[in-house]
Amino acid sequence: MELKEKLRILADSAKYDASCSSSGSKRSNDGGIGNAAFSGICHSFSSDGRCISLLKILMTNACIYDCKYCINRKSNNIKRAIFSPEEISSITINFYRRNYIEGLFLSSGIIKSPNYTMEKIIETVKLLRHKYKFNGYIHAKAIPGASEYLIKELGLLVDRLSANIEFTSNDSLKLLAPNKETKKAEDIMNYIKLSKSRKFVPAGQSTQMIIGATKETDYDIISKSENMYNNYKLKRVFYSAYISVNKDNLLPTLEVPPLRREHRLYQADWLLRFYNYKVNDLLDKNNPNFNILLDPKADWALRHLEEFPKEINKASYYDLLKVPGIGVKSAKRIILSRKHFKLDYNDLKKMGIVLKRAKYFITCNNKYFISENYFNKNFIKTNLILEDKETINNNISQLSLFNE
Amino acid sequence: MNNIYIYNNNFISLLNLINILIINNTKPDNIKQIDYNPTLFDNLIKLNIDNNENIINIIIKNTSKNILKTMYYLYLSRDDNKELIIYYFYKNSLKYKDNIYSMRNLKCVSEALKISQYVSRENHKFKGFTRFKELKNNILYAEINPTNNIIYILAIHFKKRLSNEYFIIKDITRNIFSIYDKKDIYIVNGDNFRLYEESHKSDFIEDLWKEFYKTIGIESRKNNRCRMNFMPKKYWKYIVEMSDEI
Repeated sequence: MELKEKLRILADSAKYDASCSSSGSKRSNDGGIGNAAFSGICHSFSSDGRCISLLKILMTNACIYDCKYCINRKSNNIKRAIFSPEEISSITINFYRRNYIEGLFLSSGIIKSPNYTMEKIIETVKLLRHKYKFNGYIHAKAIPGASEYLIKELGLLVDRLSANIEFTSNDSLKLLAPNKETKKAEDIMNYIKLSKSRKFVPAGQSTQMIIGATKETDYDIISKSENMYNNYKLKRVFYSAYISVNKDNLLPTLEVPPLRREHRLYQADWLLRFYNYKVNDLLDKNNPNFNILLDPKADWALRHLEEFPKEINKASYYDLLKVPGIGVKSAKRIILSRKHFKLDYNDLKKMGIVLKRAKYFITCNNKYFISENYFNKNFIKTNLILEDKETINNNISQLSLFNE
Repeated sequence: MNNIYIYNNNFISLLNLINILIINNTKPDNIKQIDYNPTLFDNLIKLNIDNNENIINIIIKNTSKNILKTMYYLYLSRDDNKELIIYYFYKNSLKYKDNIYSMRNLKCVSEALKISQYVSRENHKFKGFTRFKELKNNILYAEINPTNNIIYILAIHFKKRLSNEYFIIKDITRNIFSIYDKKDIYIVNGDNFRLYEESHKSDFIEDLWKEFYKTIGIESRKNNRCRMNFMPKKYWKYIVEMSDEI
């Protein structure tokens, strides 16, 4: 088989993995080729608007497993291919020299056994690091079920490892992926957490969940994320809107992937990691799914209108962060500036703070932006929904691209 | 009449001029490069300034390294009034030092930081968007069309990761080259430099990359507007996987 066809098959099989982040590592170049930029670098953007940072491929799309949602499952009659370690290394180096990529994201179907697959991945990464002296970014899959000594070896070579949890409950996973157990993925996460050091997986670990293939609610999903962030110190959880690639009675047939839902989950994930929110602030058993019309933060604010408006010159950092439209950067700017000045609306504008949504939830020197009579739920809600509609189509896959 | 102060087209000369203006308590109406075309109302003033590089140390001593860096990024921008913006930014920095960064509500500060961040962001984008091709003698060669004059700071980035390669980056808009010889970076004007080497006609690696690019997008998630937000069309011409789509 020609190299070009192989690349097409093995990139095509890898494209459903959401992660393409290249951030979090500071690997430097010691006489070889490449280094890692801590902030990560996007090299291109694919036709679906996702960042291309890494050469994202499978080593092989042959697989002994038969996961119902996966394009590469054993029972699918598709063309199979396998890359040799030398081929992967050579493509990576050649792409890197021309500045097409930040590095490699290597995953694989399971051949023979989890251990055998891991050994092949390790062989490839070793070749890149040692023979080609490649110091760029490498993200590799840790295969659930593989032995710890192999994870240890791989972790010392790469920048990031990830084991995909796929679904929040073991029941869902067992139903759709008879060979998998969530416990196996979590064992790996736990092992990586315990072994983490400056040299072992310096950019940390991530995982991925499939959204919309099973009956799990947003509450189930985001609770699972919170739980994994706390237990395994994950850098990121990625959410991947389910795409119907296979026909199966156990799977829904979706015309279009649930992108809006995926977007809301990324927004909520953001609130957990940087805004000090807890899952129970956002959702609960009686209200288990995010509002499709409003982002989770605005939705929360409207349900807690008694906490608003916040006075820009007095509110604490975390109170400022609760204001829809004010992010980490804006909140920091406000805190710094008000040490020197009393801020009014014009100051905020000059500081580059977008008031489009924030204005409904703040006062400057105790003044609301229009008559205070308008400070009520219906007025604010209507306006927010109108403004959200304009931007949402543009930004729908934006959150997944932000670096940590 | 507008008093326009003139400097020799380089950063050191501009810093020396600004320093003299501030010491003498002179308020310029504008500051322009030596090739500036004056209008009827302009009064051009050329002070006798030296090109002493020690000015760098003076600026750092009076303010900070960060402030010098912001001034340098401003200098790289293509903003028409950048010199005056640098002058006011520096003048305020003498008073406020690094606190200046939390005073975005002052117009001269917010303007300066907005422009310097634009330069820094564009540089970051080109760390990703620059595409090298291989010339027949193994030299890596890239053409870019940035809005700001980032070719030097961009070359510093590539010097670190491609330290064992020869590379040349051409700024198409300004007709200048940055050249790295495995040791140092040189900035050369296109009037004094011509590339004779040709690249390989058919490029297997480039074909592989285009194939990868086409494959990796998910059809049912297609989103052109989102792609364009992140990768503006004005850059496409020199991004090899995009050049066919124009």
